[in-house]
Amino acid sequence: MKSTRLLKIVAALLILALPLWLRNEYMLHIAISIGIYIMLALSLNTIVGYAGQFALGHAAFYGIGSYVTALLLLNTDLSFWLVLPIAGLVTGLFGFILGSPVIRLRGDYLGIVTLGFGEIIRLIFVNWVDVTRGPMGLPGIRSPELFGYTFTSSADFYYLVLVLVAITVLVIYRVVHSGMGLSLLTVREDEVVAESIGIRPTKYKLIAFTMGALFAGVAGAFYATYISFISPDSFLYTDSVMILAMVVLGGMASVTGSILGAIVLVVTPELLRFASDYRMMLVGLAIVLMMVFKPQGFWGESRRKRNFYGKELADKPQKSAAAVSDSNSAT
Amino acid sequence: MKKMMTLLAAFSLIAGVLTGCGNSSGGSGGDTLKIGLAAPLSGASAQDGQAIKKGAELAVKLANDAGGVNGKKIELVAEDDKTDPKEAAIVANKLATDSSILAVVGHFNSSATLAGAPIYNKNKVVEISPGSSSPAVTDAGPYTFRVITTDAYQGEYVAKWTAEEGFKKVAVIYENTDYGLGLADVYKKAVEANGGQVVAMESYILGQTKDFSPILTKIKQQNPDLLFVGGLYNEAALIAKQSKTLGLNVPFMGVDALYSNALIDLGGDAVEGFMLPGFFNSSSEKENVKAFVKSYEEAYKESPSTYAAYAFDATQILIKAMKEKGADRQSIADYLTTLKGYEGVTGVHDFDENGDVMKEPEKLIVKDGKFQSYTK
Amino acid sequence: MLSQQIINGITIGAIYALIALGYTMVYGILKIVNFAHGDIFMMGTFFGLFILKYFNAPFFLAFILSALFTALLGMVVERLAYRPLRFTDRIVPLISAMGVSIFLVNLAQLVWGTETHPFPKVFPIKTYTFNGMTISSIQILILVLSVILMIGLHLFVTKTRIGTAMRATSMSITNAKLMGINTNFIIAITFAVGSALAAAAGILVGIYYDAVYPTMGYTAGLKAFTAAVLGGIGNIPGAMAGGLLLGITENLGAAYISSQYRDAIAFIILIVVLMVKPTGIFGKKEINKV
Repeated sequence: MKSTRLLKIVAALLILALPLWLRNEYMLHIAISIGIYIMLALSLNTIVGYAGQFALGHAAFYGIGSYVTALLLLNTDLSFWLVLPIAGLVTGLFGFILGSPVIRLRGDYLGIVTLGFGEIIRLIFVNWVDVTRGPMGLPGIRSPELFGYTFTSSADFYYLVLVLVAITVLVIYRVVHSGMGLSLLTVREDEVVAESIGIRPTKYKLIAFTMGALFAGVAGAFYATYISFISPDSFLYTDSVMILAMVVLGGMASVTGSILGAIVLVVTPELLRFASDYRMMLVGLAIVLMMVFKPQGFWGESRRKRNFYGKELADKPQKSAAAVSDSNSAT
Repeated sequence: MKKMMTLLAAFSLIAGVLTGCGNSSGGSGGDTLKIGLAAPLSGASAQDGQAIKKGAELAVKLANDAGGVNGKKIELVAEDDKTDPKEAAIVANKLATDSSILAVVGHFNSSATLAGAPIYNKNKVVEISPGSSSPAVTDAGPYTFRVITTDAYQGEYVAKWTAEEGFKKVAVIYENTDYGLGLADVYKKAVEANGGQVVAMESYILGQTKDFSPILTKIKQQNPDLLFVGGLYNEAALIAKQSKTLGLNVPFMGVDALYSNALIDLGGDAVEGFMLPGFFNSSSEKENVKAFVKSYEEAYKESPSTYAAYAFDATQILIKAMKEKGADRQSIADYLTTLKGYEGVTGVHDFDENGDVMKEPEKLIVKDGKFQSYTK
Repeated sequence: MLSQQIINGITIGAIYALIALGYTMVYGILKIVNFAHGDIFMMGTFFGLFILKYFNAPFFLAFILSALFTALLGMVVERLAYRPLRFTDRIVPLISAMGVSIFLVNLAQLVWGTETHPFPKVFPIKTYTFNGMTISSIQILILVLSVILMIGLHLFVTKTRIGTAMRATSMSITNAKLMGINTNFIIAITFAVGSALAAAAGILVGIYYDAVYPTMGYTAGLKAFTAAVLGGIGNIPGAMAGGLLLGITENLGAAYISSQYRDAIAFIILIVVLMVKPTGIFGKKEINKV
């Protein structure tokens, strides 16, 4: 126990001091990208992993957050620290509005509808030229300022994303390990049972949708101010798929899993850069192999050692994963 | 506990490998001079990205065959931005923070150039784009250059040509990207200013739309006397072909991006008579163009497209800068800002204070399955 | 103009329908969405192109050969990327499919290059005009061939032993196994048939647009998947109807509403249909077990 804590402290210090020992902007940029994707994967995990809702349009929420932030920073004098929560809330609202009519759909039908929403939102970014400047994108987005200090270096943004990731992890962890998390899981396992014990599936699914959208919006807000240029090309269906792959690869309904999934899927394509023309082919192959050899993900539910009240489970984790997948497929 | 250890070990291993990637090239910087290349080598614009890579590689090869720069060989480090601004930011970080990279040829599409520009400018490394024609690139920063004129310039040029030919009712089809939209906008305004009329404005999605029959059927109702295509060659060829199938027989006019043998290969008879301005003309009588076309065909067994030519020019300009001013980042930037009258295969280059280039195109037409100079 | 748009819509709809059949057949049996299907369609088109161009094979021989190769590819993909995942959560094979899709696109790019290839001229293009409406010989070919293929598929599924076994397997894999059906074989056959139909669609697309390129599977796959869901995924006549409906509405939408929002129109129709009938037009009502 003691050495675990020590290790945790060492790891935390290493992460905190990353810009000091990692004196390389490219590496810091990768670290920042990982941070963005951790937020996206975690937020999608509340929808897919915990609430069991198959959503294929997460990049749309990411995009809405980015566009709201960019437009506010470009057209008003509002401070980034005010714009950030606004972007999150607006995106959350979109999650709620888009979620309400379709939440009753099941499984793959919900998947294709969310995919459709993602495409429609992207087409709006592309075609609503008066506001979004369409495919030309929005360049020159302001950097955040804090007490007269303007964020410019990668290290500044690294600490900003670190704080945002920490908040995301904390909030989502608290929520999914609370009574609400249990209700969500009940809905995922069996809606009929959930309803019979007074848990309204629609309400909980909507909560998951709204919360997932909100944090994706926060990630988008950070992205907009960090890169300082956004265009519709950044929020494609393939990005939604990549985020989903992070969730599944890391292990569904697991906070650690989403973090691991994000790290692996951001780092793998970078490690494969040496393969030049073969690179994306190898990335595809790697995804297939990871799924075939680790279908439960790196840190799936079967690895969880504590139950939702924080009590240690017995040594051998119960074989709940198989049961989960069975009940999930019985639509 | 053990897991924690494994995790940490894996983490530091990955970090080590990544740093290794970033720095290993730094160590060997002594023997070779490195130029970065950032282009969409995979994905929807891969065809242009690969052409850019070939053009740049050829310039490097020719320079090395001629003895390199002050006895040092030049090396091209190619990275794939997949037409994705997020990926472009990664590539830009990778190239800009590797101090052995002296300058970068790229990116291709304007959104990638704009996503990379803040990073290149912060690290004070020249980025010279062979394909980004969006007006927004003008203000991207002092280290961002390009060897292609803006959409605005080309749109107005073609509009003037339209008026000269006496076309009055024009239909416009453009690709829904920064490029196509920019062109279509300027062209429409300029045509109307010249007394013409734009009877239809229709767009398509690059790399997705292959069925143009709905918009062409719609355009046919308007009886235009000219169809302007603001997009790239694959789509232009399909548009020409499908309009013939639908019985819409009008002349076509386009932009320099259509200059590619793919237009003729795919379009066949349907693109006969297609009019377009060109900065690059492979059948040109100019000596430097002839030499470029010959060595390109020898190296790749195909003829160069306009983007291969742009990339060739961009790379040659960088190499010239290294030779004449010095092989370091700042010297290259200084050289480019003062460069006037550089004779490349795509015309005479004069950079203005924003890093934009001014060039005069030539009027071309597709005739007997070849691009030829246009004569009335 | 209206009738012209409808004819164009039916042509492209027939192609969507052929691809959609692959999605729907696999879904019917395994309840997974084969997201790599669009890229299998792309590979099929390239096989056809390759055989026609380099072996100068007669058209129908090339058509059959490329269908065979693509069927084989479909079976290989099933064996390597899906079969090991049959008893996992349904979302897992989906991600594996995404991996296959990335792999195939980049493989095609390496083998055949990134450029757009013209399709060999196998049929003379003739256009027939009546009442101001134009229809080309290629459109007629597409319609005739896809009708033949769909009737063939219908007969195969309803009249043959394998087809019967397929339907049994789609009702319940466990029960089918108990009846002595080699379900692994049946699933492989399903992938093969779906892939062969995609190859057929691919060659027709190749002739129609005269443009073959590595990323062509993306949009086609997305549209066909939409068509399959529209008709009620898992339902074969549904996929055909969904394809036609999508092709026609998309063309009309692009013509009369906005070509910029063409794809959005397809999705809006889908969302509206699913709101009214949550399992698609021909889909069976799902039963909630208690």
